Amino acid sequence: MVSKKLTIVNAQGFHMRPASTFATAMGKYASDVTIKHNGADVNAKSLMNIIAACIKCGNEIEVVANGADENDALAEAVQMIESGFGE
Amino acid sequence: MLKGIAASEGIGIGKVMIVEEHSLEYQPKQVADTDAELQRFRDAVEAFCKETEEQAEAVRKSAGEKEAEILMGHIYMIKDPGMIGTMEAQITGGQCAEAALEQICDMFIEAFSSTGDEVTQQRAADVKDIKTAILSILLGVKTVKISEAPAGTVIVAREVTPSMTAGINKENIVGIVTETGSQTSHSAILARALEIPAVLSVENATTQLSSGELIIVDGSEGDVITAPGEAEVQTYSAKRDAYLREKRELENYRGKKTTNANGDEYELFCNIGTPKDAVKAMTADGEGVGLFRTEFLFMDRNALPTEDEQFEAYKQAALVLKGKGLIIRTLDIGGDKEIPYLGLEKEENPFMGYRAIRYCLGHRDLFKSQLKAILRASAYGDVRIMFPLITAVEELREGKALVEEAKSDLRASGIEFDENIKIGVMTETAASGVIAHLLAKEADFFSIGTNDLTGYTMAADRGNSDVAYLYSPFQPSVLMMIQRIIKCAREEGIPVGMCGEAAANPMMIPLLISFGLTEFSVSAPSVLKVRKNISKWTKAEADKVAEAVMSMTTEAEVTAYLKTVV
Repeated sequence: MVSKKLTIVNAQGFHMRPASTFATAMGKYASDVTIKHNGADVNAKSLMNIIAACIKCGNEIEVVANGADENDALAEAVQMIESGFGE
Repeated sequence: MLKGIAASEGIGIGKVMIVEEHSLEYQPKQVADTDAELQRFRDAVEAFCKETEEQAEAVRKSAGEKEAEILMGHIYMIKDPGMIGTMEAQITGGQCAEAALEQICDMFIEAFSSTGDEVTQQRAADVKDIKTAILSILLGVKTVKISEAPAGTVIVAREVTPSMTAGINKENIVGIVTETGSQTSHSAILARALEIPAVLSVENATTQLSSGELIIVDGSEGDVITAPGEAEVQTYSAKRDAYLREKRELENYRGKKTTNANGDEYELFCNIGTPKDAVKAMTADGEGVGLFRTEFLFMDRNALPTEDEQFEAYKQAALVLKGKGLIIRTLDIGGDKEIPYLGLEKEENPFMGYRAIRYCLGHRDLFKSQLKAILRASAYGDVRIMFPLITAVEELREGKALVEEAKSDLRASGIEFDENIKIGVMTETAASGVIAHLLAKEADFFSIGTNDLTGYTMAADRGNSDVAYLYSPFQPSVLMMIQRIIKCAREEGIPVGMCGEAAANPMMIPLLISFGLTEFSVSAPSVLKVRKNISKWTKAEADKVAEAVMSMTTEAEVTAYLKTVV
């Protein structure tokens, strides 16, 4: 299992487009990918669950990947979040 | 006349088209042939996605990429394993397609609605929209084709859903009226993007109005004028044309620097009340924030916001501004507000009582936690601190000493902040105007709050109609205050802004240019207008106007003269 703590930097937080690109990207991996936010575990492969988690700009989250390709999954997740989803 | 919320500016004159909703009732049942039911469901979802994609394509052309994204989002949502996956599992288990769809959609609608977060709550409207659209397909209900509305149509509906908006042809739809919705609902956002005048939350609009009748939609005022006479139609047509002309002209000022006719540069900032407003300020082409009111963090709750909570809000605004100036005003609150946990007592005269900096200096823990939160946010942008209601130099000194204490606390904890954070005074009392020369020696900047400066100088409450005639920033006494504050700031070489409503007043602008103001802070929708107004004046012309005005004796004389020069 690998994990990393991150801060959301794009102004709108995890709104529709980033949440959807993120969930699709994570869906490619065999590993389980979870976002820890406010004490809850959010399935990172589900757009609907990410939206329900209300993750905002400035929030601290932790991405946890667990499985065969966990390093690749975490690396892509970190890249996407740190770049602010290119926004 | 019907009243509603002004949600999208402009005026539309046209004929009503009522968009009715159809019953989507069905009899839930157990299905024996689950394979066939699954196929029926998948066909409906596929038809929905195809239709939505076409609509998104149309919206992309008419309103832009962002609005198309809202519709594309519906496809992403239904295709989420939590949606289609769970629904298919229910159908395989024997549930009918309609019930499976409704049950799962309702679950997410409930989850999104209960978050208390406005943006997430809006997503609930999207799920509702998905549910209605797919149910309509499953039940074979025909929906009204807004796309076929003739030119000059005003759409009247209970609510305008994103998928309905998609059918809107900008050329044909001149106005939107709904029974529900707010400034920030989908209907409002889409109407603004399409530049269609819209009035929302008009009670019983679909029953009070009937298809085919002529109405006027005033999206700037929130008015719906029914059965207008010829004269009214003419007045509103003229108003509409003037609005459109000005709007085209103002767009030329977007992305430009703010300069007077000599090319001298000014800062043109915005006043905001929440971090979300910072986004609006940037969209409106503001060059920074000249007044971030922090009261929102303290209102409508039962306990003080924590330092972390405040820090998140300030940081969020700082990140949105990307290094542009952000002036945060410390808590400006008093006995006129009902905030039970602050223990503010009802007083005879709250505006002259225990409020703003006075209250904060008396509640040092509360104040220090706000100052620490602001300091922490200063690591993320050009954040500055402003104290409200300063009337004596000691208040500024005490406030600055507390900032130093907050700084050393943060240093001790190894937390980053801007060591050289600027600390300014909101000059909004008669006292601060008179001692501006003393304050300017110890403050890093001034910002003139004309609303309170006018009230405190004239000793007149603008909310009281019996004395409201005294309340004018063009009173010679107020103008002399403003002139003096600016002069004292310039003499000490510190920047001086204005964050009151007067900063956007075209009659005030030449005076401010002449006096030497360096920063204008206005509401987001005024940015381009103010930039245009500043660009019209040379320093020499502004000086001539100011000289004339400052030699006048009465407010009536001043305003009569200024009306002739702008």
